[in-house]
This record gives sequence, structure tokens and C-alpha cells, in this order.
Amino acid sequence: MSDKTMLLALFPDLDPAAHAVERLREMGVTDDHVNIISGIPVTDAMLGRPKQPSNVPSLALAGAFGGACLGAFLAFGVPNLYPLDVGGQPLFPGPPSIVVMFEMTMLGMLISTFLGVFLDSRFPSYTPKEYVAEISDGKIAILIECQPEEEADIETAMTKLGAESVKHAEAQTL
Amino acid sequence: MAVLANSAPHAQPHSHPTEQDHEAHLREEHLMLDPRPRGEMNAMVMESMQTTSWKFWVVTAILVVVVAVCLVYYWGLMISVGLGIAGVNRPIYWGIFLVNTVFWIGISHAGTFVSALLRVFKAEFRRPFTRAAELMTTFGLVQAGLSIFMHMGRVWLAYWLFPYPNERGLWPNFHSPLSWDFLAINTYLLSSTMYLFLPLIPDLAMARDRSTGWRKVLYRVLALGFRGTEGEWTHLRFAMNLFAFAILPVMFSVHTIVSWDFAAAMRPGWSSTIFGPYFVIGALQSGLSAVAMVLIVVRGTMKNMKYFIRPEHLDALGKLMLIISMAWAYFFFNDYMVQWYNGDKWTDILLRFHEEGPLGWMWYAMLFFNIVVPWLVLWNKNFRRNPTILFIVGFLVNVAMWFERYIIIPTSLSINRFPFTYQFYKPNVEIPLSIGTVALFVLLYMLASRIIPLVPVWEVQEGQMAHSLRKYGKETVVTVRDLD
Repeated sequence: MSDKTMLLALFPDLDPAAHAVERLREMGVTDDHVNIISGIPVTDAMLGRPKQPSNVPSLALAGAFGGACLGAFLAFGVPNLYPLDVGGQPLFPGPPSIVVMFEMTMLGMLISTFLGVFLDSRFPSYTPKEYVAEISDGKIAILIECQPEEEADIETAMTKLGAESVKHAEAQTL
Repeated sequence: MAVLANSAPHAQPHSHPTEQDHEAHLREEHLMLDPRPRGEMNAMVMESMQTTSWKFWVVTAILVVVVAVCLVYYWGLMISVGLGIAGVNRPIYWGIFLVNTVFWIGISHAGTFVSALLRVFKAEFRRPFTRAAELMTTFGLVQAGLSIFMHMGRVWLAYWLFPYPNERGLWPNFHSPLSWDFLAINTYLLSSTMYLFLPLIPDLAMARDRSTGWRKVLYRVLALGFRGTEGEWTHLRFAMNLFAFAILPVMFSVHTIVSWDFAAAMRPGWSSTIFGPYFVIGALQSGLSAVAMVLIVVRGTMKNMKYFIRPEHLDALGKLMLIISMAWAYFFFNDYMVQWYNGDKWTDILLRFHEEGPLGWMWYAMLFFNIVVPWLVLWNKNFRRNPTILFIVGFLVNVAMWFERYIIIPTSLSINRFPFTYQFYKPNVEIPLSIGTVALFVLLYMLASRIIPLVPVWEVQEGQMAHSLRKYGKETVVTVRDLD
């Protein structure tokens, strides 16, 4: 692993980047050694890349469940612990409990979705990373992890396919 | 059929001159058909944030003074002296503070509505102004929260709202609409702030890459180390889609619950099964008008914003305002009709008081500004596209919606089933405090416009990638691809 190098090929547009991804696969570079960085959300299908897994849906569900439990506690547990007699009204009424449980379920789901993005993306992360500022100007970067002896071939192939630059990826402070 | 690329600013060379004119017109009309290089759009947005004229600082200074006097001083005075210096008294215990609370929650609805609902339905015109609308939600909710605390009087006891064991036997009743308010408004405030922040991350990263000094430090921290990797975009997209769907029922629930503060009470004029949707539509009525007003101000005062916010956007908002005005009229009449028809003595007295009492002018102004003005003006495309006219309509609608809340709360509380308690509400310290909340909202928005990229550039670019011109026979039409 330590003898591998990281190349960063910068493309002006989507089409040449998509062709480059295909070419890399033909050259034997596997998908898990390639990463795409872009300034807009380019879908997996556009670049012919494998679908990216995400834990956000599962976390959202778990959060919704946790929120529902909290709502149930507020609606049923609290009156059980501290009964308040309000004009002889029932202690555990149905419709008002639905309101409390709904709000807490939604809050739990949305907070866990938000935190899920942080967790899955490992935010915040201020350590130096491979990046160039041109990416947020609309350029598409392909990060390629390869053996040193493959570098020259990959650089030639990427340049042929329209890469504006192919260089060693340098980790920089964002 | 032929697709004309969206990167070309002009028509194909072989096109007929009139077709070229038509295509040029389409590109001038629609932001999505008038792409510029991403770097240029980034520079435009950065310039709009960093270019500040002396007029901006003069207005800021005035607003700071107004906030200091009207909000800080008078609130401090009310805290030290007590609620007695406010106009609330028997039988009107709910005064302007709650009018403002309902009003600001209404304003906050439009941000989520514009952003989430239009995102769900893939309405492309939303792209450049979703963030400007979302910001309104957050700052509107801040004013609503402040107004509740003002109404509370003894704000230092606010923590009694939280459920925690204590020796005094004080405990929130979670089956009361007032507790639901606490839960719903906090849920909405947290959700809408998160919903504002998620799509902002890529733009903060863009700003980070183009800043120096304190801005660089600020954006670096807020961008969280975002680069735009496949994984980051995947998680972000999923979360934004989920938020767009999930925040809508939360939005509806908030104003419905606010309406239940009134509807759950057995009072003439309040006890109504239609109050929930009536309040929600009222919130959209005032909120959409406020979005239009804010966009017009942003477009007119901030550099480069005329490229991003065009007459097509005002036109679309004007149409939405017209539809919502019709819906508001429907719900208002539905509520009024049933109360009028039921023949209850006290309800009859209340309705007459609304229409013929000392504030009858307010009732008629509410109907005139909420229904007559939008219907007379917004049917016309030229009027909808005119910033001045749309701003005036938006302002009048907001005045009318504030009147509506005033009629529902203190005016309706003035009379009740005990004629010996009839009293007319005379606001006192509430007036400067209301001015203070408006000033604080504008001040926060102005300051945020210097720090937060008001246009989501990546969303605009994404939209521009999806749009193209296509020839159907001899006609050139706009087409949109679904990039999801």
C-alpha cells in the first residue's frame, strides 16, 4: 500500500471524465482505486461508476424510531410519572399523544439524517486532503491510486482523453 | 428533432434570423438557458457578498439603533417593570406579542415551502432563490421565538417549559396545545436550520477556495472539509431529498398546531375545525409575499443578482401568490360562512364586532389587500414581472395578514360571553417591540447576505446542465432532463 502513488487528473467537463473512468477500468485500475471529485453532484450513472453506499437511510430510520420512543415517553411516561388531573380529562388520551409522537419522530429522523451526513462523510475533517481549488470552478478531478510503474501509462491515457493536467495528488490544507 | 446545446450562447449558424431571435430571447428570459462558466458564476456570487456600499452601512447603523432602542431597551424595561406596561389586560391576555408570533411563523413557512415543495416537484425556477427563501425561515422563527418570550413576561422562568423533575410539582402538560407549540416550533426551527445548512456546504467550500483573511477561516470551519467526493455528494443528496419530503409535514404541522392554540378553546370565532388549513394557507400567503419582497430587494441592491434573479422568477412567484390568495379566500369564506350560518348569539355579536366595530376598517382592509389587490394585479404577466408592483402587492398582503392575526387575537378577545368585561385593546410597549422584531429580521438578513452565498451556485449549474433547447418541427422549445 505504501508504495502506491496517487495521481490527480483534472478534466474540464463531464464527458471526457466519463471516458477516462472507462479507460482506467480497461487499463486494469479497479473502481475502488478511483475517486471522483466534482463541484456539482455528478451521479454514478453519468460517470459509469458503481453505486455509492450510504448509511444515511438506516440512520434516518433509527433516528425516527428513537424520536418515536421519546415522543411516547413524553406522551405516556410523563403523565404516568407525574399525573396532572385537568378537569377529569383522561391521563393518556389518544389524539394529543399522536401530535407529540409525530413531532418527536420527525425531529429524531431529521436530526439523525443531518448527523448521518456528518458521520458518513467524516465531517468535520480539517486534515490535509488531495484537492485543487479548480474543482469548485466546475472542473472534475479523478483521483487514481496506482503503482509507480503504471503512472506514465495512466498519465498518457488521461492526457489523450482531454485531461488538462495529470499530476501527483498533493494533500493540502483546505 | 435536434437538441441545441446549452453551452452555446447563440443559435446554430444555419438558423433562420427569426429563430435566432427567438432562441436569444429564450436564453435572455431563462437563467437555466443562459449558462456562464462556473468560475464566473462563483466570482459573481463572491463579489455580491464582498461588495458593500456606504448605503449598506448607513442602513445597518440605523437598524442597529432601532434594534437597540425598540427591542433591547423596551424589552429590558418590560422585564424590569413587568408586563403591566404592556397593553394586555382582562379580557385580552393575548395581545400583539402573539399576533407577531403567528405572523413570523407564517413568514417562516414560505422558505420551506418554496425550497422543499418546489424541490420535490422539481420546479426548476426555484434553483437560484431557494437559499434566500430558506434564510427567511430561520430568521423569521427567531422573531417568532422572541415574541413568545416577550409574551411570557418573566422570561427567566422559561426553563419551566422543559420537563424535569422538581420539588414544586410543576410539570408541563404534554396534552396541551401550548406544549405542542413548544415542541413543533423547536422541531421546525432545528429542521429548517439543518435544511438551510446542508445544501450550503458545497457553496461554503466554494467560498473557502476563493477567500482570504477572516473569511477564509470562517468558511474553512463551516465547510467542514468538504471536497465534493462521490461519497460526500451521495450522502448530501440523499439527506437533502429526505429533508425536502420530511420537512413539509413538519411545516404543515407547525402552523396547524399554532391554530389549535385558538381552535381548541371553546370560544366564538376560534372554535373551528378548519382553522388548521386556514392558518397554513395564511402562512403561505404572507410568506410567499415576503419571499417576493426579499428577492426584489436582493435583486435591486446586491451586485450581479440581476443575472440570477430574473423577471421569470418574479413571474413564477406572482403566479404562486395569486393561487395562494385564491386558496386563502376559499378558506376564509369557508370559516366565515359556517360561523355566520350557525346562528349562535355570541358568534353573531363577534362577527358584527369584526365588521362594524371600531376596527371594522381593519377587517375590510384585510379582505381588500388579501383578495382584491392580488386578483386585480397578479393576473397580468406584465404586472407580475414588474419588481415595483410585485413588491407593493407583497407588502400590502403582509399588512393584511398581520391585520388578520390582529383580528383573530386581540380584537376577538375584546368581547366575549361576559359583556361586563368588554374592553378595547390598547397596545403600549408592544408597538416599539414589534418594530424592533422587524428591524432585527432585516438586520440579520442584511448581515447574513454579506457572509452566506445567497445563490446556491452548484444548484444553478446543475440546472443549467439539465436544460437545453430542442427543435420540434419549426418550433424551438425548452426541455429539461431529469439528472437524478
